[in-house]
Amino acid sequence: MKENENRADVPLLEVKDLEVSFYTPAGEVKAVGGISYELREHEVMGIVGESGSGKSVEAYSIIGLLQSPGKVIGGSIRFEGEDVLAFDPEQMRQFRGSKISMIFQNPMTCLNPVYTIGNQLVEALTCHNKDISQKEAEARAIEMLELVGVNNPERRMKQYPHEFSGGMRQRAMIAMALICSPKILIADEPTTALDVTIQAQILELMKDIQKKTGMAIIFITHNLGVVAEICDRVSVMYAGHIVEQGSVNDIFYQPAHPYTKGLLRSMPRVDELEHERLIPIGGTPVDLLDPPPGCVFAPRCENCMKICLHSAPPELTVGEDGHVSACWLHVKEMKGGRADA
Amino acid sequence: MKTGGRAAATGIGGQTMAGYIIKRIAVAILTLLLIMCITFLLMNAVPGSPFLTEKSTPEMIARANAKYGLDKPLYVQLFNYIKNYLRGDMGTSLKMQEGTAVTKIIFQEGKFKLSFKLGIWAVVAAVLIGVPLGCLAAYNRGRWLDSVLRVVTTLGVAVPSFVLCAALLIFLGVKLKWVPVISGSLADWKSYIAPVIGLSFYPMCYVAKLTRTSMLDAINQDYIRTARAKGLKTGRIIFKHALRNSMIPVITYLGPMTAGIVTGGFVVEQTFQIPGLGKYFISSILNRDYPIIMGTTVVLATLVILMNLVVDIAYKLVDPRISLTKGES
Amino acid sequence: MKTFHLFQLNPDRIPDLDAFTEEDFAPAGSEEKEAIVEKRKSVSYWKDAARRFRANKVSMAALFLFLLIFLFSYFGPLFVPYNYADQYRKSGKLGPREFSATEETIRKAEEISDCFFATALMPGSLNNLSRDTTYYFKVRGVTYSFYNEKAQGDLVLLFRENDEQKLTLIREKDLDKGELDKAAPVAFSTEPVDAGAANTVELTMIKRVFPHVFGTDSAGRDLMARTMYGGRVSIAVGIIAALIVLVIGSLYGSVSGLAGGRVDFFMMRLVDIIYSVPDVLIVLLLQVVLKSPLQSWLDASPSNFARLMSNLGVGIISIFITFAALYWVGMSRIVRGQVLQLKQQEFVTAANALGVPQGRIVKRHLLPNCVGQLVIATCLQIPSAIFLESFLSFLGLGVSIPMTSLGSLCSDALDTITLYPYRLLYPGLILTLLVLSLNLVGDGIRDALDPRLKK
Repeated sequence: MKENENRADVPLLEVKDLEVSFYTPAGEVKAVGGISYELREHEVMGIVGESGSGKSVEAYSIIGLLQSPGKVIGGSIRFEGEDVLAFDPEQMRQFRGSKISMIFQNPMTCLNPVYTIGNQLVEALTCHNKDISQKEAEARAIEMLELVGVNNPERRMKQYPHEFSGGMRQRAMIAMALICSPKILIADEPTTALDVTIQAQILELMKDIQKKTGMAIIFITHNLGVVAEICDRVSVMYAGHIVEQGSVNDIFYQPAHPYTKGLLRSMPRVDELEHERLIPIGGTPVDLLDPPPGCVFAPRCENCMKICLHSAPPELTVGEDGHVSACWLHVKEMKGGRADA
Repeated sequence: MKTGGRAAATGIGGQTMAGYIIKRIAVAILTLLLIMCITFLLMNAVPGSPFLTEKSTPEMIARANAKYGLDKPLYVQLFNYIKNYLRGDMGTSLKMQEGTAVTKIIFQEGKFKLSFKLGIWAVVAAVLIGVPLGCLAAYNRGRWLDSVLRVVTTLGVAVPSFVLCAALLIFLGVKLKWVPVISGSLADWKSYIAPVIGLSFYPMCYVAKLTRTSMLDAINQDYIRTARAKGLKTGRIIFKHALRNSMIPVITYLGPMTAGIVTGGFVVEQTFQIPGLGKYFISSILNRDYPIIMGTTVVLATLVILMNLVVDIAYKLVDPRISLTKGES
Repeated sequence: MKTFHLFQLNPDRIPDLDAFTEEDFAPAGSEEKEAIVEKRKSVSYWKDAARRFRANKVSMAALFLFLLIFLFSYFGPLFVPYNYADQYRKSGKLGPREFSATEETIRKAEEISDCFFATALMPGSLNNLSRDTTYYFKVRGVTYSFYNEKAQGDLVLLFRENDEQKLTLIREKDLDKGELDKAAPVAFSTEPVDAGAANTVELTMIKRVFPHVFGTDSAGRDLMARTMYGGRVSIAVGIIAALIVLVIGSLYGSVSGLAGGRVDFFMMRLVDIIYSVPDVLIVLLLQVVLKSPLQSWLDASPSNFARLMSNLGVGIISIFITFAALYWVGMSRIVRGQVLQLKQQEFVTAANALGVPQGRIVKRHLLPNCVGQLVIATCLQIPSAIFLESFLSFLGLGVSIPMTSLGSLCSDALDTITLYPYRLLYPGLILTLLVLSLNLVGDGIRDALDPRLKK
């Protein structure tokens, strides 16, 4: 489905054992409990999970937007080998917007209502390129608006955000994020707040741009359908942990983790011939103030074993191409295999 | 109310700016007329006439009433008053300065000028000091400077103006002798200090609080997150993005602030013995000098209404969401 | 279940597989799963808000301060032997914690002979006596009389416990000289007189002389008692005015919000008009205008209600009328906003769909959800009311003599401020602290009921 050529050996982004906690008045909320993944150039990585799974939090930590009471308390994030967490504020500021950009969920509120779109686009460019002239900057801004499919860009530049529709605004946001040609784009649920038809348009746009510019994308969503559309690889998160990771084909056609399977089962599918009930995942989401010992998914898992309740499962490679899953069931199977042998 | 999202975006039901201005002016004029009527009715609701003294006989009163037209029916009196007002004649004083034209008393004897000067300085001080203080507090949120400012501003809006003025009088005037105790006609710049501080302190603290809150609100908005994600410098984020949005509530406050400064002026003038319009107004109330009461009320009310009008218009100008043209996507 | 052909543990994290037994891999029962998930108790909205308020140190301190002032104003007079209205001669112009000359003398006298009761300081002292007049006074239930034949001056009634509980009436002049035993007593009739006599002055005996803690004003009235009393008036006026605003405003606002349509439109236009009128100007005028008609109405009307009202004084009643006329508009806007918002909520639609009658909807669904906003608004209205009342009293248009409020105390003090600054300092300080504490409590309640997770 996706192009997987030009895989460099050094990953563009390497997240290792990242831990993020929020120190609230009620206690320490372990939003991210130790996750690791790699992002290679030109790759689109999807991060899937329910609300509260920590997917946005980890993205914010990469781009340095994590605000108190949140803190990165462990692990490392490396961009092209450099440790992002060790950046001082000025380095971080230069990093943001130029090497890595982010677009957010609600385009309605993400643009400053009192300035024109053009103003905000140009600003994104000039804060990283001091030498560029106003005219050049505006020209580039118009170019970007064209790229994202906003017609009549010269006129649109002078308009205010409230004069744009939702889909338009998200396109403008994308233009703004891409104007400095970053290597990575983080998209935090960019289509969730949009109508379904607009969603499809934006996804097409993003796919298109990704092909044209060869940028890597981290696509955060709770919608598996969107993942299937655009991602090369997928990480499935639950309660601050990555429970399964692999190529999009592997995840969809050979899911290993019970949570992933549960998610897939609970999606309505157009190609189902029989009328089947949707099977939801029972139970309630985890309280991150006091996460259970052992596997975070255990209380809701129908295959839960005694060991799952008191020990955290190890991560096992369950397939080719970096397909990993963290579940005791695999250990059981593996042990079973060994016992046989 | 059926204003859907789109209508709100294009403006008040798609009206143009000119239409909006005209509507606001009409409302302002109506309000002024209303105040005149209310004042007039109130004045005449009090039994007895201004000429009632211990020695007056009913005939004397009747003659005095007739002379000043007070014996005609109320609505006629009101009508006459408005008619004269439009011509610039607000009647003559009945008691305090008998025979002198009210307009002369208010405007030519320097009373209005005095109060106005004081008021303008107070407004300027309140805004020019209050806004930066609020920004400072928001920027240093959580640190000691913010805490100090919050304490001071909270106290500032709790202290009644007369207490503050008295304290200023004692400390600056008597104990330290930096400023004259009786400011009189504000002859030199020193005599301005204490009254202006007394008059502007409350609005200054309120503006600082307002600025701080709206700055903090603005900083929590999504578009600030976007600005940070773009890699903008912090200073630019605050001064360009956050500040402009947070000025909107402050501008809105200018209207009530004017009213507050007008009324605060009464206290300040009383305390510092400044012969301004406020002090005179209070005396006229106590003395029941109707024309002066009417005249002063109208003048002061006009000031406040005018300011509210200016603010309403300015507010719509600053916030482009209420747009002048009908741009649509 | 699909079997995977490739099983490899991550090289960095290989758990000790042999530590686990066969048993560990048995399926877990649902009770075991439940045990792991600790169910958090769901806290009710109000309890949660109360907890947040309690945690807010500033608000708790402010609440404490307000209670202090409240106790000071309402229960303080129990401990101070002075009354707010009584003028003690020769006591004018006292500074804080000073005693008047008479009191000084008595204090000195106390050192000489013990068990000494004095009454010259108490209400209804035998001051300013005319000659050739019979005066009656009542002490401990027994009425006495004496005939003032020559100008005695002012008299002091002493009670010396040691000598057979003897009551002695001596001249204040003699007391000033400090020579008690040499003082010639004034004769009075010890035979009880018919208690029904008019002009009987009731005297109270006290043991110790109490200093004028805040000093006195120029008429010789104790300032602390007046400040306490003024505090009572200010607090009471503030609370009652806020309640008036609450009742009128919420009624108007909920009717307007519920009715909707044209009724709502016109009701709100009225609110707009009242809102745009500069309130203080009208308030001042109202105050002046209402005084005489109210007075005449009170004098003329025989009902108990009128009598109660006249105890309050015309000034205060006109303040209440002013509030009722002008200040409810803010509250009505808030209530209307709430009602409109709630009206559109799904639970109201659901209730309507179920056929619940309107009144019940209001009572059970709308009002309880408004309560939070109402509490906040009312709580913040109280200090505004106190502010306004003191402003009016300061200008002379508020409470009427002899009643006093903190504002009028400040006003009285203004004339002599350069000489006796403390006269304005004490009531001013108490007033400031009162408004401050109420503002902070109001802010605290608002933060507790409507938290935005700011950190």
